[in-house]
Amino acid sequence: MKAKALQVLLVEDSAGDARLLREMFSKETPGSVVITHVERMSDALRNLAKGGIDIVLLDMGLPDGHGIDTVRRAQAAAPGVPLIVLTGLDDEALADQAMKEGAQDYLIKGQIENRALPRALRHAIERHRMQAETDLLREQQLQLKDEFLSHVSHELRSPLTAIYQFVTILLDGLEGELNPTQREYLQISLKNIRQLKSMIDDLLEVTRLQAGKSRIEPQLTSIPDLVADTATTLQETAAAKGITLSSDVAPELSYAYADPTRVRQILIILLDNALKFTPANGVAKVHARVFEKDPRFLLVEVSDSGCGIHPEMIEQIFERLYQAPDTGQAGRKGLGLGLHICKELVTRQGGQIWARSEPDKGAILSFTLPIFSIASLITPAFKIERSSKNSVAVVVTELGSETGWLSSGEAVEPSHQVRDALCRCMHSDLDVLLPKMGPAAGTEFFFIVAVTDEIGGEAITKRVRERLAGRDQNQQTGLTYSVSYRLLRSASRNENELMEVYVERMAMKIQEMVDDVISPRVVKNEQ
Amino acid sequence: MSNKKILIVEDDPDVRKGMHVRLQASNYDTFFAADAISSVSEARKHQPDLILLDLGLPGGDGFTVMERFKANPQLGVIPIIIVSARTGHDNRVRAMKAGAKAFLEKPVDNAELLAVIRHALGETENPLVHDVGTL
Repeated sequence: MKAKALQVLLVEDSAGDARLLREMFSKETPGSVVITHVERMSDALRNLAKGGIDIVLLDMGLPDGHGIDTVRRAQAAAPGVPLIVLTGLDDEALADQAMKEGAQDYLIKGQIENRALPRALRHAIERHRMQAETDLLREQQLQLKDEFLSHVSHELRSPLTAIYQFVTILLDGLEGELNPTQREYLQISLKNIRQLKSMIDDLLEVTRLQAGKSRIEPQLTSIPDLVADTATTLQETAAAKGITLSSDVAPELSYAYADPTRVRQILIILLDNALKFTPANGVAKVHARVFEKDPRFLLVEVSDSGCGIHPEMIEQIFERLYQAPDTGQAGRKGLGLGLHICKELVTRQGGQIWARSEPDKGAILSFTLPIFSIASLITPAFKIERSSKNSVAVVVTELGSETGWLSSGEAVEPSHQVRDALCRCMHSDLDVLLPKMGPAAGTEFFFIVAVTDEIGGEAITKRVRERLAGRDQNQQTGLTYSVSYRLLRSASRNENELMEVYVERMAMKIQEMVDDVISPRVVKNEQ
Repeated sequence: MSNKKILIVEDDPDVRKGMHVRLQASNYDTFFAADAISSVSEARKHQPDLILLDLGLPGGDGFTVMERFKANPQLGVIPIIIVSARTGHDNRVRAMKAGAKAFLEKPVDNAELLAVIRHALGETENPLVHDVGTL
């Protein structure tokens, strides 16, 4: 069987080196290797773009390209083509770097054995092919697994629903009184149903995060409220294990710019873990404060007095499907998805997550979240020097219901639609639509901030009114809108005042105005 | 005052029965349909005050059923609550755009289900759904 000729692209600017390399192929069967020799990177890229090359032999010092950059450019031009770099004797560090960038191998000039070169080439091609196959297979398997997990988590919901329904029907006494033992057993069932549900939720969450389908909506978020809320939720579990669960959070802590549902989810996972790995009579704590190393962030720490994490494992615990090795703790292992979900959620909200631990001295899991700052949100609006303007128009849209009360569930969808509509009404792409600015019961407010004067403010207000009115004619939604604007003036920025300071000053005025609008509507949740 | 009527459109017989027992205990009368086609005829027959609708149904999914209801002048005004194993933002948006009153994910917490039903029937003003326990 006659094999196809091996197409080698030799990129080498030294005529002497090129000749030596060519000679190394002289013992090969005639016609089995075709060498295309070019001296410049630009010619190499042109050849690669044409296609048909099986392997590249690349000198890393060319008239129009040098060092690791040549490897990157060659790989960008033809990602599927294996590459061997040629280096000098004293360049092994560079060669290592090239390998990390994806080169298959490196050969040191002057040390290449005659017969070895063709063999090295064939091996490199074969290795590359196998690698590509493995990568593709891995990708296909991951996708298949994600689809499978998504399917499974959906299919498990119906039977779980039926079990939950009938267990609670009995527990609620709808079919008659229960004796204490019956009640206890059904409570155990219910606890397990909840565990099962949370596993199914985790499965789905991971597949969604993986597919980028997860929605994260950062807004003004109170960490003290969320910490108190989750601590209360888990107090019972802690007490049942004899663990003291406490929190230490300054109530006046700055707000975070984060999605409250997601932060709650993170806290629950971390606290759940802490409780799981802490023995009876242990302690679990939540701390939250401004992050000392970067005061633009809040730091939340969940610590426990459990078995700790082995130092070698400390990086791995955030990987998908990681499970703690046998810790001697009774209980179930779970799916190994929790910390992975935490990491994804924290990172997507602009924070970081890490762990510290010493074996048998417990573990501290810490994460950061950006502090809510109107100043940083509105900074883009001041990016272009609109020097004549020393005012900011804030267009306020209130979304309500004809019944006078908009429940949080009902508001979700209209709220997204109003946001989309408002984005289309903004005058310039420098105008800023603020995120949800805090809890107002029964109604929802939206704020557009624009660096402009009365005329601009009026124009945006009119556009918003028209667009929302047009929207409502088509759909009978039972929703009401009211739109108005307020002009906030500030003394002009003098030459010596830094832009940041000026923006900060404006941000404070905006905050006061927002508080003024929202606060009469805030209903404190008494429960 | 007579009991309010709820049509449960759900293909899983066990889930259907579970809902029936729960709703009956709260003094609602329940009727059933197990597929897309019979849901419309059952609604015509019983004129329910509210419909609980599953999305994955034999003979056409819940979205198709909703379209059929909304296209009918008499049935179109009946509030619809989606109760589905299908989750995700896309389904939720699609359901709300099609005119659903609420979107609940299976398994639904009992208290939440009842709170949403009462609100959709106009029996409570402030549902404060986020305050009730979550399963």
